[in-house]
Amino acid sequence: MQVAKEVAQKFQPNAKLEAYHANIMDRQFNIDWFKGFNIVFNALDNLAARRHVNHMCLAAGVPLIESGTTGFNGQVQVIKKGKTECYDCNEKATPTTFPLCTIRSNPSQPIHCIAWAKSWLMPELFGESEGEDSDVIDSTEDAGNADEIATLKKEALELKEILESMGSDNFCRKVFEKVFKIDIERLRGMEDMWKERQPPDVLDYDKLESDSAQIEPTVSELSRKEWSIEENFAVFKDSMDRLTKRLNELQSDWTGSKKPILSFDKDDEDTLDFVTAAANLRSTAFHIERKTKFDIKQMAGNIIPAIATTNAMTAGLCVLQAFKVLQHELDQAKMVFLERSGARAINSDSLDPPKPSCSVCSAVHGSVSVDAERATLHDLVNVLRSELDYGEEFSILNHGGNLVYDPDLEDNLPARLRDITNNLDYITVVDEDDVAQVPRVNLELFFVERAEASSEETKPVTLQQGLEIPRKAKKSTITSSEDNSITNGMSGPGKRKRDGEDEEMTNGHVAKKVAADQANGDGEDVIVLDEENGKDGGAILID
Amino acid sequence: MADAFPATLAGPTSKERRYDRQLRLWAASGQQALEDARVLLVNSDGPLGSSSTGVSGVAGVETLKNLVLPGIGGFTIVDPAMVTEADLGVNFFLEQDSLGKSRADETCRLLRELNPDVQGYSYSTPITELLQDPAFLPQHKLIIISGPAKRSTLDPLCLEAQELGIPVLYTHSVGFYATFSSQLAAEFPIVETHPDPETTQDLRLLNPWPELAGAAAALPNLEAMDDHQHGHVPYILLLLHFVEEWKQSHEGNAPANYKEKTEFREFVRSKTRTDNPEGGEENFDEAVAAVLKTISPFTLRSTIREIFEMEQCQTLTADSADFWIIASAINTFYTKHNVLPLPGSLPDMKAQSADYVSLQNIYKSKARADVEEVLATVRQLESQLNRPMAPIPDRDVEVFCKNAAHIKVVRGRAIPQINSNSDPETLSAIRNQLGLSQLGLPDSLVSVFIATQILDAVVDEIQSSAQSSSFSVDDEALWKSHTERILALLQRDDPTPLDEEARESIENAILELRRAEGGELHNIASLAGGLVAQEALKVLTRQYVPMDNTCVFDGARSRSEMYRL
Repeated sequence: MQVAKEVAQKFQPNAKLEAYHANIMDRQFNIDWFKGFNIVFNALDNLAARRHVNHMCLAAGVPLIESGTTGFNGQVQVIKKGKTECYDCNEKATPTTFPLCTIRSNPSQPIHCIAWAKSWLMPELFGESEGEDSDVIDSTEDAGNADEIATLKKEALELKEILESMGSDNFCRKVFEKVFKIDIERLRGMEDMWKERQPPDVLDYDKLESDSAQIEPTVSELSRKEWSIEENFAVFKDSMDRLTKRLNELQSDWTGSKKPILSFDKDDEDTLDFVTAAANLRSTAFHIERKTKFDIKQMAGNIIPAIATTNAMTAGLCVLQAFKVLQHELDQAKMVFLERSGARAINSDSLDPPKPSCSVCSAVHGSVSVDAERATLHDLVNVLRSELDYGEEFSILNHGGNLVYDPDLEDNLPARLRDITNNLDYITVVDEDDVAQVPRVNLELFFVERAEASSEETKPVTLQQGLEIPRKAKKSTITSSEDNSITNGMSGPGKRKRDGEDEEMTNGHVAKKVAADQANGDGEDVIVLDEENGKDGGAILID
Repeated sequence: MADAFPATLAGPTSKERRYDRQLRLWAASGQQALEDARVLLVNSDGPLGSSSTGVSGVAGVETLKNLVLPGIGGFTIVDPAMVTEADLGVNFFLEQDSLGKSRADETCRLLRELNPDVQGYSYSTPITELLQDPAFLPQHKLIIISGPAKRSTLDPLCLEAQELGIPVLYTHSVGFYATFSSQLAAEFPIVETHPDPETTQDLRLLNPWPELAGAAAALPNLEAMDDHQHGHVPYILLLLHFVEEWKQSHEGNAPANYKEKTEFREFVRSKTRTDNPEGGEENFDEAVAAVLKTISPFTLRSTIREIFEMEQCQTLTADSADFWIIASAINTFYTKHNVLPLPGSLPDMKAQSADYVSLQNIYKSKARADVEEVLATVRQLESQLNRPMAPIPDRDVEVFCKNAAHIKVVRGRAIPQINSNSDPETLSAIRNQLGLSQLGLPDSLVSVFIATQILDAVVDEIQSSAQSSSFSVDDEALWKSHTERILALLQRDDPTPLDEEARESIENAILELRRAEGGELHNIASLAGGLVAQEALKVLTRQYVPMDNTCVFDGARSRSEMYRL
């Protein structure tokens, strides 16, 4: 960041440039900070951050140039509140998910074994384990799965015991025999599962150890070669060693509150070697083809190909769109797509008006001044009812999307606002009063902290301006979520499907697909393969 | 005890790490091709009018930037200009200290900083002098020329390049416009065209080979299956099975047209079990969705047929390129079997793992057998022809077979120009484009191409004139006379006068070029550098389909168009 600033500064010494090495979702970049700009460019690599900046720019009323590239494709979108579609007007693709049982018991493709190694084994051994109380399995599963579920629980417990011996000489053997022998023997015992397919093979630690005696661990450098089972074994042992040592060092230097962990990073060779070897050993056991480290890096890391040419073009297009925005010629601004194929290199499309059904950009933004010491949720609810005519039926969500209030959740009423919000940033009020007519659009209230504690007579929460909160457009927001035409975070011209057109294909799947933010191995019945930071969706990336 | 292996040594080479994201696009073979290539940039062509340099050459340098970053082997910059104040304002590859120095040397130095693996060479001598050395041009795999260039430079350079088989890209970046044209070999074949994966599926559901048909026939009675089994029959087997059932009630014919296919789709849909706990079946959903796409007989695409019919494919000689030998062998395969070799890939689908794997094996084995057959023909051809070169690698034959339905031969054309020697095809393609506005279509950007041709002519005259320094690039009389001359040329073969709208759109494009006085905007130059480098990458890696042959970008309207001129 600093380097980029220094280089850019040389081109134009008079420009005022500021560099922040920070996360854009931090509290310091609040709405007032966003209001300080005439235009914002997004060149982010994950869905959560894109949506956040989209949201902040809408609230601050600042035009946003949203952009992204993947391989030869690129896209630039101009977003201005009330004038154009926002980033969330078109729903973005969610990452691929796999049913838990496919990953844990019954893999049939290399990707299943990779997901197992990356999202289950790696965190179990070196990261945050699922913890005793988190029930991995949805207990409403049908009875046929009961055996399997009990088994999985047992497996998790056994692994916990082994973890105690981390650092000892036979730790690697214990882990290996646990996941490639004991667990597999148990799976083989469930005969029902293997009526239709060949049961998995148990792997023999001693045999592999002697067969691989001559193999140097440097075999892990051959990332495009498909390793033999012995080679995978050698890399498994070696990478396990490397990771154990690293974790020990981290933990011996550790003083803070959060215990250090190692998590998968596609550019961290140790973790990549481990995931590659573990996945390939599992594939071997289940008679699935093995993959090269190069391929596994892509599959596990959700790598978005990136090249200089596409980035150069996309950056140029961003600047051209910015000219139009800054010259107040928004009507001339375009949605621009770079496409490798087709009759043109660059396609553009005029900007669509906001989707009335979009709950993000249809929201009304307002601010309330609060006395941080005194203001409670109850005070806020009173203001909503008395000054903004809210009825009984509405709910309040905080920044993280967590429900803090609804008619059935009154526990938080006495809580101070600053304790139940993200340090007094903002909350979203969702009207659910559908008795009279359609509910009102969402209301987002940003908090402005009073400089000094106010006296007892002043109300702890006061609206800073009058607000008109219109009713929602007739079309319900639920159908808009079916309007899901986006591939890999990119919406293309002419690709928009009509509402519900593909319902038959998604029938029965929708419920299983859980957004990345919620489901990264936190106990849902799906495992999500996503960006290493666990926040990403169908990302497009400029780096 | 094994010591912890230092992570930095355990990994792939630093090169592999640096280029990881692009290797995903063009693989090691593409990267090797890039690393074997040296690119020549002819970035200006001597003084122009009262200024010391004709072209500011920003787009040229930006193009090289985009080739140096992904790691071409090397580049050569030929540019007789000295760095001026004006250069500093638009070119990121010059710095304050560069002022007054050779622009070739300075841009070369700063570009090399981007990537230590790339060799850079610079010459401040005009390209025409360098061409005296017959060994100069053949060192390069691609030539990029920043226009406007004098005809007395451009024509011999392009001619020599054509004789040597070196592709040329001729570019302009002026004001808000960028245009560029390519000159490829007369036949430029590409095997790895990277088609959309959806279009590459070849499942052969209407003409299954015996093993595939056998797998469908061996399917147990669907009705007798329990819900789990029924919901896990791979959709490919379902479709094969239902096609057979359909044939029995349709005089042995498979669904042939859209109407029958939709009927067939409903027929498949009606077989879905909905009384199970899920209220439906994913594998049947997949089957229903695949009907329209996959229930079609194999047809050879006309582009492939044309390639088979080309002289190079029909008449092989000892020095035929590998491409033509393999193409001919595949043609033999097609003549015999009426299908191309099977690509062998299988889409993901709802199935029991074991069923999926065995189905996958059926497709893979067939693909392997097809490759073997083609390979045998290739070996036979090689020995018949007594080829002096090394035998074609097995791997190349395999890649060709996988891509057989999507190979492409671009028929390269010379850099298009509007002058008295113009190819009539070029002129008529331009006239066609100009006529589009009358059909109610949006203005063609071909007017920008015409305007840059006029710019070329103006610059050519100034540079060739004895008192060149007395002219300005914005000389009214010069622009007027060349505009009239070029417009007249456009009506040479088609005397219908140009309509008002076409004239006006050409005039507007001319205004923008004159307003910019031939100068570049960094932003457009950078974008043009991206577009041109992308074409360079395709040409050098011989992957993806290159542009054929002219592209125009209008930054004011965020529009681009491509034409074959």
